[in-house]
Amino acid sequence: MSAGLSRRARSTNALLSLLALLLVALILLPVAYMVMMSFKTGNQIVQDPLGLPTSLYLGNYANALSKMGYVRSVLNSVGITLSVAVLVSFIGALAAYPLARRTNRLARALVMLMALGLATPNFVTITPIYVIFRDIGLLDTYLGLILAFTALNLPLAVFFYTGFIGNIPTELDEAAKLDNCSDFQVFFHVIRPLLGPATATLSLFVMLMVWNDFTYPLLLLTDEDKFTVMISVYRFVGNHNLSPEDLFPAAVLGSLPLLLLFLVFQRRIVSGVTAGAVK
Amino acid sequence: MGNITMGKYRIFLFTVPALLVLGTFFLYPIGLSLRMSFTDFTGVGIANDVGWKNYERIFTRSRYLDALGVTLLFTLIVVTVQTAIGLFFAALLHRLPAVRNLCRAALFLPAMMSFVIVGYVWQFIYSPFDGGLNSLFAAIGLTSWQHNWIGDPDTALYALAFAHVWMFIGYSTAIFLAGYAAIPQELDEAARLEGTSGWQRFRHIEVPLLASSFTINIVLSTIGTLKTFELPFIMTRGGPDGATRTLSLHIIDSLFGKYRFGFASALSIIMLILVVAVTLLQNRVLRAREERVR
Repeated sequence: MSAGLSRRARSTNALLSLLALLLVALILLPVAYMVMMSFKTGNQIVQDPLGLPTSLYLGNYANALSKMGYVRSVLNSVGITLSVAVLVSFIGALAAYPLARRTNRLARALVMLMALGLATPNFVTITPIYVIFRDIGLLDTYLGLILAFTALNLPLAVFFYTGFIGNIPTELDEAAKLDNCSDFQVFFHVIRPLLGPATATLSLFVMLMVWNDFTYPLLLLTDEDKFTVMISVYRFVGNHNLSPEDLFPAAVLGSLPLLLLFLVFQRRIVSGVTAGAVK
Repeated sequence: MGNITMGKYRIFLFTVPALLVLGTFFLYPIGLSLRMSFTDFTGVGIANDVGWKNYERIFTRSRYLDALGVTLLFTLIVVTVQTAIGLFFAALLHRLPAVRNLCRAALFLPAMMSFVIVGYVWQFIYSPFDGGLNSLFAAIGLTSWQHNWIGDPDTALYALAFAHVWMFIGYSTAIFLAGYAAIPQELDEAARLEGTSGWQRFRHIEVPLLASSFTINIVLSTIGTLKTFELPFIMTRGGPDGATRTLSLHIIDSLFGKYRFGFASALSIIMLILVVAVTLLQNRVLRAREERVR
């Protein structure tokens, strides 16, 4: 009896698993569609809009690569993204230490400030940032963009590290203090070496945000040589009369670096985003 | 004495770099925005004080009130649908440990893509000319379902919301799954022994215990959706007939080409008040709900 029940339960489970996989495949269909379309000629798209490409036609890619300044924009994005990740992790971890170890009024006020920063959309500060940057000569510079992104991502970093440092036992701090270490020495010699996993996860998250952001570079950059990948995609594909032969290869090229990053680090990215959100 | 107080607060010197960055590029800009919002500043020359005129304009012209309505409706649709689908997938995958991690990662994939690219791809999917969706309907003989999805003011906002939800299903699912992982297994087993159905367990045990996951999901997706800009900017430019013109699209439009910095600032301040008010309200209501179900 119970064996029969479990067999039935098992086959229900197998059926449900199949259903789940099918639904997930359905959701990934637009991604597959994007890749498939990028290999089709304009003629094929008109004649057979849903069919698989008859051959691996690379003409669209050759055209996109030669016209959208892809390599240059990837290098720009990588440089900006890495600079922001380094700045945000360093400044964020520093600020998180007192917030994780103190609960006085000042700490609570700072946590409130970070929460406000986390909730505030960048559209609120984009007009004044444009004006400030213009006045001090940061408009259309890498440095300006890096600073703007750093400020945007800093509140998240502080929250992230505060949660992480909060889980490090204070006994470690106290032991070091008995050895006459100052707060600074405790942070650099006891806390900082333990932050590796948190920094890795946070950096992936910051990379995701910065690489994909559109608003800041759209408003703050005008020099083509400094364009990030998303601006190159936008300038290449345009806004009127979309041409699928331009759109799909540009979309694949624009997402490829992050999709590869995701394949390698998917476990860390998913759990990191979840942990960041749950805290 | 003074030394002791200094010692107590010395550790806060660690926050100085962060405060410098946030002071210069977050707090000061908000103050500047507030100041500019009472002027007719165009980016050059002198900014004349115009009092409440910019705000008056926002609240008396239907195009800005409509944008406010579009933004709120879009947020309502996205938050509701995304939370529901995320909960569905989490409930399903929680029962299926064999495929759970694979599906969770796969659902997350669209969130790796930029709004710009998602906007372009979905714009072509919705396209009346050889677009994926209409071609699909033709292929399965449902020609009557074909529609100019983002060209029709009645469907455009929903079409955009669908693309947005598609992107972030993985987020909601992952957050709910983390909530499921925190439910003690004995509870589920005890209910199972009492002969409850799967639906009863879901409705009366799992949903109440997921209260904090609901809070996180709803607050996060609200913050992320109230500022929606890229999808309407790429896919519809706010059209057709203003059906997808969000608040943030108005802000960018006032800056680009028009250089109405004062007015754009007033719109930004309205947006800030909106986001802070909505998230505070949600936090209060949802936290109270968490207490109640506990």
